[in-house]
Amino acid sequence: MREMGKCRKLWCRQVSERPGTMRPTTTRRRMMTSAAILAVTALSAAFLAGCGGKAETPAAVAAAGDGPLGAYEETLVCAAGRSTIANPKFPEGDSYEDNAYTRYVKDVLNVEIRDEFEANGADYDRQVSLAIASGELPDIMQIGSKDLLDELVENDLVADLTEAYEEYASDYIKEIYDSYDGRCLGQASYDGRLMAMPGTNLDGAPCVTYIRRDWLDKLGIRIDEDGDKCISIEELEMVAAAFLEQDPGGSGKPVGLAFAPYLTADDYGGSGYTMNAVASAFGAFPKVWLADEDGEVYYSSTSPQMKEALGKLAQWFRDGILDPQFGTRTWDDITALLTNGQLGIVFGPWHIPDWLLNNVRAMDDEADFAAYAIADGEGRVNVTHSNATGGYMVVRKGYSNPEVLVKLVNLYFDEMVNSTALAEEHPDVYDYINQGVDGTARVISLEVNAYTSLLDDYEDIRACVAGEIAEDEVHTAESRSIVESVKKYVENPSEAGVTDWAKNVSRMEGVALIDRMMETGKFCWETPVFYGVTETMRMKSANLGTLEEEMFVAIVTGSKDIGAFDEFVATWEAQGGSQIRTEVQEAVFGEEE
Amino acid sequence: MGKKVAKMGGAARARGVSSQRMYHVMMLPGMLFVLIFCYIPMFGVVMAFQDYVPAKGILGSKFVGLKNFSYMFSLPDVSRIFVNTLVIAIGKIILGTLMAIVFAILLNEIRCKLFKKTVQTIVYLPHFLSWVVLAAVVVNMVNLDGPLNQLLELVGLGKINFLGSNVWFRPMIIATDVWKEFGYNSIVYLAAITAIDPGLHEAAAMDGATWWKRVWHVTLPGMLPIILLMAAMNLTSILSAGFDQIYNLYSPMVYQTGDVLDTYVYRMGLISRQYSFSTAVGLLRSVVGMILMLTANGLAGRFTDRKIF
Repeated sequence: MREMGKCRKLWCRQVSERPGTMRPTTTRRRMMTSAAILAVTALSAAFLAGCGGKAETPAAVAAAGDGPLGAYEETLVCAAGRSTIANPKFPEGDSYEDNAYTRYVKDVLNVEIRDEFEANGADYDRQVSLAIASGELPDIMQIGSKDLLDELVENDLVADLTEAYEEYASDYIKEIYDSYDGRCLGQASYDGRLMAMPGTNLDGAPCVTYIRRDWLDKLGIRIDEDGDKCISIEELEMVAAAFLEQDPGGSGKPVGLAFAPYLTADDYGGSGYTMNAVASAFGAFPKVWLADEDGEVYYSSTSPQMKEALGKLAQWFRDGILDPQFGTRTWDDITALLTNGQLGIVFGPWHIPDWLLNNVRAMDDEADFAAYAIADGEGRVNVTHSNATGGYMVVRKGYSNPEVLVKLVNLYFDEMVNSTALAEEHPDVYDYINQGVDGTARVISLEVNAYTSLLDDYEDIRACVAGEIAEDEVHTAESRSIVESVKKYVENPSEAGVTDWAKNVSRMEGVALIDRMMETGKFCWETPVFYGVTETMRMKSANLGTLEEEMFVAIVTGSKDIGAFDEFVATWEAQGGSQIRTEVQEAVFGEEE
Repeated sequence: MGKKVAKMGGAARARGVSSQRMYHVMMLPGMLFVLIFCYIPMFGVVMAFQDYVPAKGILGSKFVGLKNFSYMFSLPDVSRIFVNTLVIAIGKIILGTLMAIVFAILLNEIRCKLFKKTVQTIVYLPHFLSWVVLAAVVVNMVNLDGPLNQLLELVGLGKINFLGSNVWFRPMIIATDVWKEFGYNSIVYLAAITAIDPGLHEAAAMDGATWWKRVWHVTLPGMLPIILLMAAMNLTSILSAGFDQIYNLYSPMVYQTGDVLDTYVYRMGLISRQYSFSTAVGLLRSVVGMILMLTANGLAGRFTDRKIF
């Protein structure tokens, strides 16, 4: 649950030196001279020492305890790169480095986690890039993209985890990975060697549209008359216009629809504040490679469907329904619009109530959200299958104990999930789960879950809340905790806490929506054909990405008319796009005869 | 005779070295700093001609000749970035210098010492604040709900999205930079004004020159060498349009008019990890910068007899 687009900026500091103006007396001058020389010598020595490079002292290999959760005899220190979010909801006194999850690691494995760097969203990616450029990687770190993993592997910077996985991964963890038929581990393997522990990605789901239910009721707006949880583009437009005109939040400065400047996302988890939901209603899947009926691959961002979707957004911008400050409104700004009661419609993955919309509820205890999917003209909801892999965890090459990563995965995704005695043995960890402390607090903020776990878990929760099964029949600790929250909320909404509310909305609205669509067969699936990186992409995709982002924003804000889309496609093709397409075509369907 | 002069010069130099030893030692850290952070990294420009791979290092990476440069010139972005950089930097230099001169002349006329000091302190202040802080201030001032737009609406001019408009972004960048720096930049001009012989002013006043005439015929000519020297020195920074300012204020909407060399190199090099490509852009920038600097130095020497080096 990474917060995409969080962009706290780095800067250069300018140091200006000004000559001193003090004139010391003779005696003082002599004293100062020797002091100055001393200081200068010390400084120069420090400089020279800094120049020599870090001495490589190979850490003694800590004796690895056997078994998936074998503790180390001597405390093993592990330097980690930590991906964080702005508001992880730690209890007083806890931090990313020292919290229930890291203490849990210390207790069980005798491993001490030290944070090499902590950073947020886009800053984290920047830190990783800097670490790679400087050649000083932390012992373990998370990386987001396959492209980056390719680079690390090619540069021989990460450790081979094949043996560690075979020897230490628990049966349960192996089962989870096997549920993806090798599609998950396969992406982290190079010539049959496992070079990273991949996070798993559940199958695709529609980018959910959450709408303030209390505002709909207040204004007496009725949408989704047939109750199938699908709304049309027209209904969305109508609601946005009503929210804008009648200002149900009473802020005085209402906004109809808001999008982050990057407008699109290529993964489900990062689809918050993007137009992905709207695009899919037009049959477009930004940044995704698809194949048409003739077996020709194409890049969906350049498809006619995308043009249509952008045309719609441009029309909304002209009409004022879309935020007039779109393009300069950052992720944080949009969150502020939500919490200030200026904005009542938000797009994102089903889990945003847990980590984003909870802030809205915290400000306004009347706030409530209903989840919808946007359907296309024929009433279907277009979805793509997800990449089975969601991020990777890597170990620095040369680290004494690479298996520690596998043990961490065992601990967090097997032991912690399945232990029935967690509440007694590690009450603070159990509290963390209950209070919804963010997953980034774990050393591994990826998720490792079985392919069908989202709906399996939901079925458990639903059945238990409905009283069909007993609480100890619910499979995982997290689900049990969610059941408690949902029950608490359903029984007495006004007394329940924000976390209870959030869990209720994310599961009983968000996941319920997905479950429902699966059952009623509303989904219209597309399967992306390619997730990797080709030779030309490596050199040219940075530039093409900027081109795409810039053109889309220009079209939506009307500084270029919709006709410029064709111009964009031509430029995209000319600047390397057509070459990339040929490469993808070859990678997917093999060399053409 | 010549020999004697040389000998005396030698003696003076020897004396100078011994009495200045302390200053030389004090210079050492600065020299080391320049050596470590400016000269040693220069070898990194080799990357511009390579397909640089961090793990292989500069010695191990493959040479690709001018491939990075030819790719660079095939991108329409690059000319746009040079134009943006030049327009913004020149705008800042011209307006910044003008404002500082005018302000220095006006401030010099103020007789009430307390008022003068107060004004000085207030206008120096923004110089000492980082752009990260000031950008937040600027964003709040000029966004659609900000005071500036409320004012514009009040006088019936309608709202302007300064941060997202390709018409207004450059003027806004230039104006806010001038606002931040003019006070501090005026210090040197104030000093130049103080150095003008008051006798000249008295004589001019005696001859019946008005205030305006005295400014035009006495103050400005007296300041001219400093103005030209400062202008020449500013020219050396003509290819840095201010990374921290622009980075904190721009967005994809205004890449067209606001993306400058520094921000582009940063995005490509560090964010997108196109090390070789961004080094090539950086190298081109250095070459153009050096040509400009040499020209400026030549011009300064021609007009003021003061060369920077």
